[in-house]
Amino acid sequence: MSLPHFAVSNPGSHVILLGNEAIARGILEAGVIIGAGYPGTPSSEILSTLAEMYPYFSHLKIEWSINEKVAFEVAYGGSMSNVRSIAVMKHVGLNVASDAFMTAAYAGARGGMVVVSADDPNCYSSQNEQDNRYYGLHALVPVFEPATPQEAKDLIKYAFDFSERFQTLVIFRTTTRLNHGRGDVVLGEIKNINREYGFDWDRSRWVCLPSHSRILRLRLLERLKEISDFADNFPFNSLQISKKKVNGKKIGFISAGVPYSHLIDALNHFGIKDDVSILKLGMVYPLPKNLLKKLFSSVDKILVIEELEPFIENIVKQIAYEEGLSKEIEIHGKDMFPQNGEFLPELYLENLADIMDLEYSRIPVPNDIIIIPPRLPILCSGCSHRASFYAIKQVEKKLKTKFVNSSDIGCYTLAVYKPLEGLDTEVCMGGSIGLANGISKIQSNENPVLAILGDSTFFHSGIPALINAVYNQNNILVVILDNRSTSMTGFQDNPETGIKITKEVGTKVNIEDLVKGCGVSSENLWVEDSNNLKNMIDKLEEAVKAKGVRVFISRHTCSLVESNEFKSKEIVPPIVKVDSEKCIGCLICVNKFGCPSIIFDQKEKKAKIEQDTCRGCKVCIDVCIHDAIYEEE
Amino acid sequence: MDLKSFNILMVGIGGQGVIRAIQILTWAALLDNYKVRTAETHGMAQRGGSVSSFLRFGYEVEGPLIPSGNSQIIIALEASEAARYFRYANSNTIFLINNKIIVPPTVQLLNMEYPDLNSIGSFLKQISTNVFFIKGHEEALKAGDLRSLNVYMIGVLVGSSQLPIKQKTLENSIRRFIPRKAQEINKIAFNNGIEKGKLIKGDIK
Repeated sequence: MSLPHFAVSNPGSHVILLGNEAIARGILEAGVIIGAGYPGTPSSEILSTLAEMYPYFSHLKIEWSINEKVAFEVAYGGSMSNVRSIAVMKHVGLNVASDAFMTAAYAGARGGMVVVSADDPNCYSSQNEQDNRYYGLHALVPVFEPATPQEAKDLIKYAFDFSERFQTLVIFRTTTRLNHGRGDVVLGEIKNINREYGFDWDRSRWVCLPSHSRILRLRLLERLKEISDFADNFPFNSLQISKKKVNGKKIGFISAGVPYSHLIDALNHFGIKDDVSILKLGMVYPLPKNLLKKLFSSVDKILVIEELEPFIENIVKQIAYEEGLSKEIEIHGKDMFPQNGEFLPELYLENLADIMDLEYSRIPVPNDIIIIPPRLPILCSGCSHRASFYAIKQVEKKLKTKFVNSSDIGCYTLAVYKPLEGLDTEVCMGGSIGLANGISKIQSNENPVLAILGDSTFFHSGIPALINAVYNQNNILVVILDNRSTSMTGFQDNPETGIKITKEVGTKVNIEDLVKGCGVSSENLWVEDSNNLKNMIDKLEEAVKAKGVRVFISRHTCSLVESNEFKSKEIVPPIVKVDSEKCIGCLICVNKFGCPSIIFDQKEKKAKIEQDTCRGCKVCIDVCIHDAIYEEE
Repeated sequence: MDLKSFNILMVGIGGQGVIRAIQILTWAALLDNYKVRTAETHGMAQRGGSVSSFLRFGYEVEGPLIPSGNSQIIIALEASEAARYFRYANSNTIFLINNKIIVPPTVQLLNMEYPDLNSIGSFLKQISTNVFFIKGHEEALKAGDLRSLNVYMIGVLVGSSQLPIKQKTLENSIRRFIPRKAQEINKIAFNNGIEKGKLIKGDIK
């Protein structure tokens, strides 16, 4: 096996890295030992890239933790032990970790400690587009943000030196286009940290009880002041001052991250990159006051370009006010750029043209635009979640009732779309059971309350809510869609498979035992194969009718994982076909079940199964009420 | 290299191999000494959804996204996706479109109208005269595996002489990213693609 290109040791090599690979490379170069995280788009490839490095760098101690709070704590334990440590999560993950994070900020870092927060403007793969720079402001922790894969690698490497120098935690904030964009990167040297590792028995620092925390808070404030003073010399902040005018105006820009790179493209488009002043930030909190003052004194107008909240803009305005310049200098930001979504390049061109009286117009759109209906993401062919939701719907129909299907985060959230329309809530990880607890207190018995979530989500944060239901006797049915994989984020293993991120064998955790341990009785626990539809319908009906807290584990390996297993074992999956004699074109398989491998032949008015995409799950055989779908022997 | 910027948009459906194609092209661009940026669709949108990947190279390239109307090349692994992303094209843009339409299941389900190849072609021809439909599906199957569609389409681009990257470099890059057992099939697909590309070269205006 040859060394992957992101793991080669020779500094100076020029390679292409995905943003997340560049971050992983920077972590490796920094001499980090402990890495922990929970998968979440757009952050997932960071730890999995470290896992790919592990065979060649066995000093790495990395893990998928059970959730982001635990991941943060794992990494922080490393920092307490003088080890460089990284916690990796998507933006909403930091909400989960925030309990630990907010207080850890007081005690600060011993070994360098960085938290990667991968934000997702435009909600490409997220339930919200929260702006985690505010966690820096909230916890008084500096926030770094890279603009390109090269800078991501260099900046995160530097973040560990910085963290140790100031004894501070660092938030390393990225956005999707950085995480999931490639760029050319020059590799650096992999540091060899030579120091004593071990826990530090300093109770005054690590025991955050009131008498200690009051003192720790004073230290935190001092630390922030020191960092704030250093911000003017922060090596990834830079200020370009231009004495030139563009159409009679002296303009200054402030930006960071991906928006900075698109700003440069737009300035190049107009050929005025050297004619304007630019403050480029690598640390977006705290801001460099002297650099800002220099910028204030060199321009008439400032445009702050940042996606999501007016985070930098508000602080810049505050500093301008403190400098007594709030009347003299025009500061623009959210009056020109929206507070939602990601900014497309043409928006920069339009706004730059607007503020500097330049010529730009979008290419005219043709007169008769063709309408292309949306192509939404869907559950895959043979997905066991489809079978589970179809069964739930059948039971609902049979009992002539409507369930409240409180659901959760994972591939199965896609069952919200037609034809399944199988879920009614999705708020946050593990939220399905918590919400069901509350809904069940109000909802009448005619509308059974179900909490539907995946295996990894159950491990992540479903367990406390299940114990809550047992303890408080909230009458709910928890359906665990157990496909033995954290599929949506890239098929990561979890405690159920017992395989660790390094592919080494760990210890399996059995969901049935866990559920019983939470206080659910054996009579109220079902474990069935998701793809055995008839049985699923019978057993689900039983479970719906039973009383108390019930758990139904619907188990079948993720069809993508299973089909890869088949391939590697050279197993030929079942071949499923439609008997066109028997098919009456009722469309149930197409319009109610909706597997993408079943198509409807409009000419013949018959269903057909596409053999090159069908994974042979055989569920549609039971879906067809006319016995027209069969397995070919 | 004194090329300011060259922009390629590749679109298709999650699972068709858009990301792999971009990986091949980015390494080749790197080997030919360009500064490179991409933006790709990963995660949720990959589950059979519409995917688009942006590839930019040249000395003046900073950001990963292509401004509308600024894509020199648009490669579509599924035909209707070419029309979905029309706003990235200008009157010189070269469209290389696999002539297969895959109707999204929800459209089928809701009995909505979905455009056909003719309407897609006549729409795109309002924008650019360089709209080429290519029998990518058939050719990939002919090469031995539908999954070689992405490499076949790269071959067409190379054959059309519109890509400022050397053929040899691309061959290196393909070898790097295609698993060993699929190498032979992809080599055939690539070479057949080049032959096809040579045929359309004269028609590019």
